[in-house]
Parts: sequence; C-alpha cells; structure tokens
Amino acid sequence: MASTGQQTASLKRRDSLVTREGDQLIITPLGAGNEVGRSCVYMSYKGKTVLFDCGIHPAYSGMAALPYFDEIDPSTIDVLLVTHFHLDHAASLPYFLEKTTFKGRVFMTHATKAIYKLLLSDYVKVSKVSVEDMLFDEQDILRSMDKIEVIDFHQTLEVNGIRFWCYTAGHVLGAAMFMVDIAGVRVLYTGDYSREEDRHLRAAELPQFSPDICIIESTYGVQLHQPRHIREKRFTDVIHSTVAQGGRVLIPAYALGRAQELLLILDEYWSNHPELHNIPIYYASPLAKRCMAVYQTYINAMNEKIRNQFANSNPFDFKHISPLKSIDNFGDVGPSVVMASPGGLQSGLSRQLFDKWCSDKRNACVIPGYVVEGTLAKTIINEPKEVTLMNGLTAPLNMQVHYISFSAHADYAQTSTFLKELMPPNILLVHGAANEMGRLKQKLISLFADRNTKIITPKNCQSVEMYFNSDKMAKTIGKLAEKTPEVGENVSGLLVKKGFSYQILAPDDLHIFSQLSTANVTQRITIPYSGAFGVIKHRLKQIYESVESSTDEESGIPTLRVHDRVTVKQESENHISLHWTADPISDMVSDSIVALVLNASREMPKVVVESEPVVDEAEEEKKAGKIIHALLVSIFGDVKFGENGKLVINVDGKVAQLDKQSGEVESANEGLKERVKTAFRRIQDAVRPIPPSAS
Amino acid sequence: MGTSVQVTPLCGVYNEDPLSYLVSIDGFNLLIDCGWNDHFDTSILHPLSRVAATVDAVLLSHPDTLHLGALPYAMKHLGLSAPVYATEPVFRLGLLTMYDHYLSRKQISEFDLFTLDDIDSAFQNITRLTYSQNYHITGKGEGIVIAPHVAGHLLGGTVWKITKDGEDVIYAVDFNHRKERHLNGTVLESFVRPAVLITDAYNSLNNQPSRRQRDQEFLDAVMKTLRADGKVLLPVDTAGRILELILILEQYWAQHHLTYPIFFLTYVSSSTIDYAKSFLEWMSDSIAKSFEHTRDNAFLLKHVTLLINKSELDNVPDGPKIVLASMASLEAGFSHDIFVEWAADAKNLVLFTERGQFATLARMLQSDPPPKAVKVTMSKRVPLVGEELIAYEEEQNRMKKEEALKATLIKEEESKATIKADLPVGDAMVIDAGTTHTSSDAAVMHGDAYRDILIDGFVPPLSSAAPMFPFYDKSSEWDDFGEIINPDDYVIKDEDMDQAFMPVGGDIDAKFDEGSASLMLDTTPSKVVSSELTVQVKCSLIYMDFEGRSDGRSIKSILAHVAPLKLVLVHGSAEATEHLKQHSVKHVCPHVFAPQIEETIDVTSDLCAYKVQLSEKLMSNVLFKKLGDYEIAWVDAEVGKTESDMLSLLPLSNPAPAHKSVLVGDIKMADFKQFLASKGVQVEFAGGALRCGEYVTLRKVGDASQKGGAAAIQQIVIEGPLSEEYYKIREYLYSQFYSL
Repeated sequence: MASTGQQTASLKRRDSLVTREGDQLIITPLGAGNEVGRSCVYMSYKGKTVLFDCGIHPAYSGMAALPYFDEIDPSTIDVLLVTHFHLDHAASLPYFLEKTTFKGRVFMTHATKAIYKLLLSDYVKVSKVSVEDMLFDEQDILRSMDKIEVIDFHQTLEVNGIRFWCYTAGHVLGAAMFMVDIAGVRVLYTGDYSREEDRHLRAAELPQFSPDICIIESTYGVQLHQPRHIREKRFTDVIHSTVAQGGRVLIPAYALGRAQELLLILDEYWSNHPELHNIPIYYASPLAKRCMAVYQTYINAMNEKIRNQFANSNPFDFKHISPLKSIDNFGDVGPSVVMASPGGLQSGLSRQLFDKWCSDKRNACVIPGYVVEGTLAKTIINEPKEVTLMNGLTAPLNMQVHYISFSAHADYAQTSTFLKELMPPNILLVHGAANEMGRLKQKLISLFADRNTKIITPKNCQSVEMYFNSDKMAKTIGKLAEKTPEVGENVSGLLVKKGFSYQILAPDDLHIFSQLSTANVTQRITIPYSGAFGVIKHRLKQIYESVESSTDEESGIPTLRVHDRVTVKQESENHISLHWTADPISDMVSDSIVALVLNASREMPKVVVESEPVVDEAEEEKKAGKIIHALLVSIFGDVKFGENGKLVINVDGKVAQLDKQSGEVESANEGLKERVKTAFRRIQDAVRPIPPSAS
Repeated sequence: MGTSVQVTPLCGVYNEDPLSYLVSIDGFNLLIDCGWNDHFDTSILHPLSRVAATVDAVLLSHPDTLHLGALPYAMKHLGLSAPVYATEPVFRLGLLTMYDHYLSRKQISEFDLFTLDDIDSAFQNITRLTYSQNYHITGKGEGIVIAPHVAGHLLGGTVWKITKDGEDVIYAVDFNHRKERHLNGTVLESFVRPAVLITDAYNSLNNQPSRRQRDQEFLDAVMKTLRADGKVLLPVDTAGRILELILILEQYWAQHHLTYPIFFLTYVSSSTIDYAKSFLEWMSDSIAKSFEHTRDNAFLLKHVTLLINKSELDNVPDGPKIVLASMASLEAGFSHDIFVEWAADAKNLVLFTERGQFATLARMLQSDPPPKAVKVTMSKRVPLVGEELIAYEEEQNRMKKEEALKATLIKEEESKATIKADLPVGDAMVIDAGTTHTSSDAAVMHGDAYRDILIDGFVPPLSSAAPMFPFYDKSSEWDDFGEIINPDDYVIKDEDMDQAFMPVGGDIDAKFDEGSASLMLDTTPSKVVSSELTVQVKCSLIYMDFEGRSDGRSIKSILAHVAPLKLVLVHGSAEATEHLKQHSVKHVCPHVFAPQIEETIDVTSDLCAYKVQLSEKLMSNVLFKKLGDYEIAWVDAEVGKTESDMLSLLPLSNPAPAHKSVLVGDIKMADFKQFLASKGVQVEFAGGALRCGEYVTLRKVGDASQKGGAAAIQQIVIEGPLSEEYYKIREYLYSQFYSL
C-alpha cells in the first residue's frame, strides 16, 4: 500500500497543477487498463473531473476487485458516468457512493438503472465472501439508487460546466457511449459497444461530432467475429446434436444482457423444430423473471424489429423456456438445456451443474461470451484433462466444451471502421488483455500511419497527459457592441464567465444578459454643524478643484456639489447632510468632507467671537486695560487706577492723568504729558493694531 | 446585428382555435404546431395552405389534434413536405389520436379529408428526439439547433428551444409547471432571458384550486353518482390527459378497494395503454422510481377495462360504472353516442375534464346554465342492402369505367408523348400502369383493359426495331475461366434468420384493434344514416379543470421569471390575450406582441454582438470573482487581430483609465435583515424601510417588480447620522456585493 500511497500523493499534486495550467488534460485508467474487468477511467481537464464507469474485477473478491480508487480523491469528482449495468462496469458503484468521500453526481440510462439494482442485489446474495470482505450490502445499493440520476439517449446535460450526452452502444439493453465536452474539448468513452445489430439491440451509433480523444474498448483486439448467422447456426447445431444424443447442455452466461439474446435464439429454434419440444430449456436465474418487466418496458431502447414485434406480442414472453429456481428444483432426468449464471463458472448454479456434468462425455458446455482471465470458464476453453471441482477434488473433463462468442463487443473490423469514420486524433485503448491490446495498437498504428493519430495503451494508474490549446472566445453584446471596435481601440466592460462561455458587457446590461444584477447604493449622512454654510464652501474650495454651488430645487436650501460626486446640503441650522452614490472614490471624498466639516465645527469658538461682539468687547477691553496698565508700569513705574477709569501716573512727584478711552492726558508737567501721550499711542497701536473704526 | 426572427400566426390567435405558427429564423421557415379542431374545418387552414410549400421544418409540441391534427391533411393536400420533428410519445400518441379521430369520423360521415394511409405517411418521416437533445439542423438551416424540453400537460409535451448564434427562441404553449401523477412539471423556468418567448394566453384568466382539493372534488362527484346507482361519462381525449385521469381513478380504486367497473373506450385504447407502459422514461420521477424499485409499471391497470368497441360496453350488465370515452368535444366518437343514451337519466353524470372546443356540443353543455335539451345528430354506418346496394354497385362501376377511360386517355396522351420522345422504356412502364389500373377493376372492364394494352403496347415507336415488349438480352460475360461469377449471388443473406423470426412489420403498425380494423378494412358497401333528435339533458353536468395547464397566476410568475427580451402571445381568447399583454408590458418586458392571423411581426433582437478572442496574456491578469454560477471580472483591453483575422483582446499598453465601479449582487431586504441580526445589530422593518440600530435606515427604492425594463438596477438608500454605527452598517451592506 505504501507505493500506491505515494502515487496518490503525486496524482493529487498533479491535480493542483491542473488548476493552474488549465490546458492539461489527464486521463488515468483506475481499472481496465491493459486488463478486462473493473472498468474505471478518470479524466480531468480545466479543474473539471469526470469518472467513467465504476466496475469490479469478476476474478477477484473483496477490496482486491475494486479499481484503484486510492489513486484519486473521490471528493473532487464532478460527474460519474456509468455506461451499462454489467458488473465490471457498475458493481463498485455502491461502494464508491457510500463508502468514499465522493459527492458528485452519477448518471446512467433508465434501463441501466433499473437492471443495476436487480443485478447488484443478486450479486450481493450470490457472492459467498465473508462479511468483512463484503464491499457493500443491500442497503448500500438501495441508498445508491437515490443518488443515481438518469439520462436518456441524446439528452444533453450540463453539470458544473461539463456538458455530456450519450449514444446507443449496442452491447446490452441500455448500454451507452458517453461524449463529454469540457470547454470545447470532446472525449468519447465507448464503454462496451457493438456495431452489429442483433435480435433486440440496435447497433452502436456513430457520433455526429468527432471527439478529440476516443477512449475505446479493445476486448477482442484484432480478432474477427464470425458472421452472426454462422455463430447462431453453430450454437443451435451443437445444442441440437447434444440433446439428440441424450446429453445435457450447460450454457454459463451472465444473467443479463447476452442471455436474453440467446433465449430469443433458442425459443425461436425450438418453435421451428417440433421434434425438440419434449426437451426442456431452463433458464436458471431468478433474475430472469424479475428483469423481464424491464425488458418489456424499455422497448424504446431496442431496435425497430423488436419494437414492431412488441406491437403484436411480447417477444420476451418465451414459449419453450421455463425458469428454474435452484438446483433443488431441477430433476435432471434425461437431456435438457440449462442456461445458468454466472458466466465465468466461478460459483453458483452454473458451477454446480458443471461439477455434476463435466465427466460425462455426452454432455456439452457452450460458452457463449467473452470469459475473463482467471475464471474456470477461461481454463476449460483450453480443454484441460482434469478440472478442480468446488469441493476441491479433481475430476476428468470429458464434456465437450464449445466456445461460440455472442458477446456484443466490437471486433477488429468494427473497431477499425468505427475509428476510421470517427477520426479521433487521440485513441486510448482500455478494456482488453495486454497482448490483445498490443496487437490492436500495432494494427491501428499502421492503419492510421498517414495521419498523426496517437494511440495510447495506458496501464492501470498510468496517467496520460495531453495539452489542448483552446482559444477562449468571448461574445461582446449589448451596448458595448453597438460598434465593432477597430484595432487599437480600447474595450472596457464586465467579463462574465458562465461554464466555459464568456461574455463582455456594459455594467448596465448585466441584468439583461445574466441573472446577476447590479445595485446603486445611495448614502446620506447628516453631520451636526451650526456654522455658516459659507465657511464650508470656502474650505471645500481650498481643497477641491471643483465645487459648484446651487440651491436645492425643492426646498431652496443651498447645496454644494463636490467633483460631481458628493452633494453637501445645509439641512437645517444645526445640520448639514452629505449625499453620494457609493463607490470607493466617492466614499473617500465624502470621508474627507466629513473630516473637514468636523474640523470646522471644532474651531467654532473663534468664530463665535465675531458673532457675539458685545460680550467679547468688554472682556477684550478688560484684557486690553490690563495690558495697557502693565506696559505703562514698565515705562513709568508708578501707575495707579484713579477714579473715572483714569490712570494716575506719578513720575518723580509729577502727576499725569490718562483717560484710557480717549487717550487724553492731563498733567501740569508738559514734558510728562507728551511722554505719556506718545507711550499710550504706541501701546494702543500694539494692543489694537486695527482701529475700531476700520473693523 | 442579431439573428432575424419573424413570427406569423397561421391559426389560433385571439381565440381558442388550434395552434399553428410560422417562425422564420434567418429565412429558415419553421412551422411550429399544425393543429386542427374537432370539426375538421378546412377554412381555418387557409393561411397554412398559402405558406405550406415554403416550410422547411415542422415542430410538434403536443400529441393532440389542437397541436398536430392538420398534419396528414397538410401533407396530402397543402403541399407540406418538410421534415417533422417531435418527441417519441408525441409521435406515437399523436398517431393514435389521429387514428381515433379518423375512425370516429368515418363511423358517422363520409369522411374524406384524409385516410389512414395519409396519417401513416405523414407520421412516417417524423424525426424523433428525446428531451434536451440538441439537434443540429443541416442544409438550409445550418447553424440552427432545436431542442425539445419538458412541457408537462401531455405525455411527451414539448417546449421547443430554437437556438441560433447563442440566441434562444422559445416556444412554450400549454405548459404545466405543476408536477402531476404521470408527468413532471415543465422546465421552462430554467430558461432565463431568451431573446424571444412565444407563449399562449389560454389560461391567463383562469385560476385553479390546489391539486389535492381538485382531485378530491372530482372523486367525490364520481363517487356520489356511483353510490346513487348512476353512471359516469368522462368525455376525454384519445391519448393525452386521459393517462392522468386513469391514474387518479386506479389509485383511488386500489386504495379504497372499489369494485365499480371503469371502462376506457376509444378505438385505440389498448394500444394507448401499451405505449404508455413503454414510455416510462418520459414520465414523472416518481413513476420511474417506483418502477426501478419494484418494477411495478404504473400503467399495468388493475381496475380499468380497455374497450375498443361499443358493443362490448353494451354487453356489460347495467349498473353504476365509469366510462372514459373519446372525443372530449362530444362531436363524434363513442362519447357522443353514450351521451345521447345516458343524458336523459337524472342519476347519471357527465363530467367534463377540459374545456370543450369552441362551438362543440361539449362547450354548449358547459355553458351556465346548461341547456335543458340539445339537438344532436345521430349517425350510423349501415351496410347497404337491396336496391341501394345495386345502385351503389352500378355507381361504382360507372365511376370505375370513367376513371379507367380517363386513365386510358391519359395513357394514350402519354404514350404518344413518349413515342415522340422516343423512349421505349417509358412505354413499358405505361403498360404496367395501365394494367394495374384496369385489372383491379374486375370483369366489367376486361374488354377495355385489353384494348388499352393493345393500344399502348403495340403502337410501335417510330424508331424501334421491332414491335415488342421491351426485352433485354442478358448476355453473360465470359473471360478465360468461363462465365464471370458475381460473388454476391452466392452470399447467404445475413438477414435470413431474422426474417424467419420476425413477422413482417411496417414501420408504423400500431396494433390495430380488431373492431376498428374490421370496420376499416371492411369493404362491404355501407352508408351513413343520420337522424336528428333532441336529447333532454337531465343528467348532471360538471366541469372540472383537469387540463394540466398552468393557471393564470403561475403563468405570470413564470413569465416574470423567464423575463424574455421579447414576448409573443398567441392562443387564447381575445380578453385573455389582452389581459396577459397588459400585464406583461408592465411586469415582464416592454416588448410584447400579440399578432393577428397572417400578420408577420419582426422580433429580431436589436442586440448588437460581436465575437472576440480573449488572449492568454489578458486572461492571465484577470481575476474572476465567483457569484453563483457566474464568474465575473472587469476587463480593460485593447483590440487587436489574430492571425486568422479574428478580433482579439490584448492587455492595455498604458494604464487603464478609471471606471465607475460596479456593485454586483442581488440583495433581499429580508435576507439582509437576517444577516444584520446575526451580526448583533438590532433591525426591524418600519414603514417599508429597514431600521438598523438606532438611527440608520436602509431603503430599497425604484420599481423592483419591473424586471425586464431598464429600471432593473437596484437602488438602495442608506441614511443616518454620522456615527460609528453608520459606517458599520455600510460595511455590512458592502459585504453583500462585489465591487468591480
């Protein structure tokens, strides 16, 4: 685990890198890289993350069967897309949804969702592993059902800027190929697909847009399928001859998907061969009956033939095939045909029957589909002499083993034509055994030799990094676009990004073209101020260049407009108000005005003197009297206050009387009189520089 | 300039006539809906007939006659030949609706406007789309993308979104925002600010009670009648609202273990339910969910018996029962006959679940007070007997003779022409045509037929070498190894087994119900006998709105939410249209149009737009702020050109000029109050203003209800004395916005 832990860290680091360099696209198979089983492919571009499929490896059990989820941070995944209901594509979903930090959205088609539940409930019941090895239980499945959303074929959905839609994939009922579009880069994930129409399914569609990257399955590598009618003939011939010789036929098959196709073939063959009517065909899966309702309902996901037939009778209402509940209800007398799950003969009913029948050479086992590496079915294809039974004993393998593939996977012919028509510049191969995949890669390289097509076969947890230079285009609309600008002109406006589309517009248009709206905040603040409005105006003019005065139209109150931003109004004797529309600069201007007004208020006492001159004069007079007295003392020495507010100056016995108001001096001594007069005039000049008459 | 968009109503404006509108987008003519009324009145199709040939594509929105009824007739007689687009249920159920109409009409009249084959061929080339599938139109309409979206109302019902160059034209009529038993509500509200919205005013004056209440009243009325030993007739449409009604009844019957029989009687009832069963993908989430969990198909009916023939109903013992029969208009179909039978019994109930079309019997009965007696025409198709039969046969023969003669003459003309044109191959074809024409006309025509051949076949073309049937000697090619083998001849056909397996089935073969088939394929000569009679209407008549359309109030709020730049109103009585128009001008957008029939209005958006590339250098300096789904930033850029001659935006070479700052965001007073309260500020609403703390007040001014107009910029006034509190609250207010 230590090593994987490190890888996790490195991948997560890369994640943060992705958000910085938005143009890097990363694809990492967490499963199905150079193997078949546990399909799970991680993709990330421009900070958006998509996970395709969420399967388990049918050959392993418990945690070992899971894809390498610890490579990624499940909480970062935006969308999880599940292509079809097979266990190797969908079975780790309950675990991933319920036991990890995943919180994105999950999508699958209607039919897939309906069968997913049945199939997984069955899987939980059938798998015989210890409780601690159980990845999830019935409850987890039910809870996961509530989280799964459905998507119809061709329906385009958008989640978090990721646009995606799906195409019919053939393969099984409800199987889809997903096309994901992130910021114009398209990735097609085929899942399992088949380009051949069969009895009930449509062939995979060819998408109308070529993707930039195609993640494609390579199950059959360079093999070619036999034509369908030959396979069907071989199949029916083997069965016919075996039962005719009194043998039993075991068809181990996946409970759902191909089984329905084989049943359609068998039912029809029996109808055409009355001699076989006494030989029973059993379909030994309890899922069979339960899934019929699903098959009957989603006929719109099937091909035209079935839909037309449906108009007459239900084609899935088999006449010669009866369900078989368990091996206990099975008499096993004489020849019979039994179709049983699981397809890999790992356990369950198919294995029980195999153990029972394998040593009789009259019997036959027909393996009708792809078998996963590591299962018993894969082993017996090579026809070993002996096999190990479930109870651990070995037994000779005498029964005939036929491998007739009906699995609806594309073969080389289909894959190459599909890719040739689609022309993706990058091809990623997944879901194929390493050697098959390698051969396919070589063949595709030579096929696309003349073109610069990259073909990549990453192993599990091996990231593929690609770079896409997507030009960001913006649409300029509304008032801003009234005139298309010339080169060199300036464009200013709001750049609005939604998903991956950009618009440039004028702020006024914002509410027209988006759900956003703009707002104007008008502010009005009142400040106590009782001074003259003129003072404010004066001060403002000293600071600001543009101050216009006018009067308010309604009330006739004088107003000032500063820099066309803030209006100052004298609301009443004691208040002025400030008025402006919020914006950083206006806020600043208004703050400075507020400061200025407050300052003006603080200096008020000085201004008040002028407004109340009477009180002040007296005090001033007193103060002036004191000063005059003090100055006179400093000059003449002995100065006393006489009656009538006169000052009596006594210099060396000579006395002079000074009238402070008029400045007249009375003295016997003419010299002293003149000196006092001069001194008083000078003192007056100093104390009252401006004659009262001037002010 | 933007994409040019013109809308021309062809039918269904200022009244409740069927819907049919021509929308022209940059010269590409889309016919949206192609409806007809239950009278099949050809006069209302005149406007359509004038433009049918110029239509480039047809979009259908709902599977009922009002929306697609005229399609077969227009295809056959009016020269409509454009590809048709619809959802799968609209296609299937629409087809069944048309079958039902044809069969009902044929039963009571010599209906000859279209035949079953016309219906089939009209529906054959419908391209079926799924919801939110973006379909790119190729050819003439290159660049136009059409996408159906959920409309509610009927199964498969569609709101069409037509997009070109990023501008959306949305056609949404008869939508239902409410979730019902079998349908999800419309997604119309998810479209915001489309360039043009075309919608109907049909329900703008109607208001509905809640669904629960309405359902209860419905069931009460039904149960009351049944318990009083009466019979209930519900005249319904063929394959639309009936599905909802059936589910209501099924559910109620199951819950209360009722045993009163319910019958669903149309010519196509069993097919309707069969298809309904397979359309779960199109139905409501709850139906899909219940199927996923329990595999219980909601349309696996346990209490409703499907009938396709009235005689089956007649065999049912008399007693209380419910019959759902088509047509809703009571003009034709089983409902008409049953009404005539049951109307005179006061115990019975006729419950209308939708408003009857104008001038139909249903509409008459829905008037208040209901008429005491109504005159109806009972018509019946009876086989011809005796003299009439002989006369008919003679007439037929005479007609055939005339036809044949005409054909012969034409053939002669043609053959002369071809002889002149010297085309022996053409001759051969003429002979073919001649023989098929005549041989089908049975023995009477033998002589003529032979003469035809003689004349046609054996007049030697002037240049021909021998007077023979055209015969080509197939000389085999040889090479050194003998005759050349064409490997194709020896290939075993892949399809062989399939063909054995599959019975032959055409594309459209809706399971034909026995009765209708017998009637249709019955070639025994028959005639329609009509008699006028007056029916005393003693039974109770109730009308309840189960139309599944949004009511007036919801329509208005949806319109205000969608807030299109331009709004076109169609379909709805004059008052309803006028009412909605007045309302919309005030509350939705200033550009509201309600055109008259054949009046073309130009709703081209007056938007200007151009595309620019955003250079990497510019984008690396842009800091986006996230606001919900949007990210937003202010850019100052200089315009440049890329190599491919595209305009591109580059960073400014000199410092950016200052711009007036923009506050982006939407503030709800109530939310803000909460926010302030959470910050410990005392807040309360007083006189329309928010008082915050002791002195500061916050007001929202301006006309907030007008969303579309220019006044959509919110005006917020914050007032208060100079205090610390003022600045604190201002700070909080600013925190609600992004300043750019």
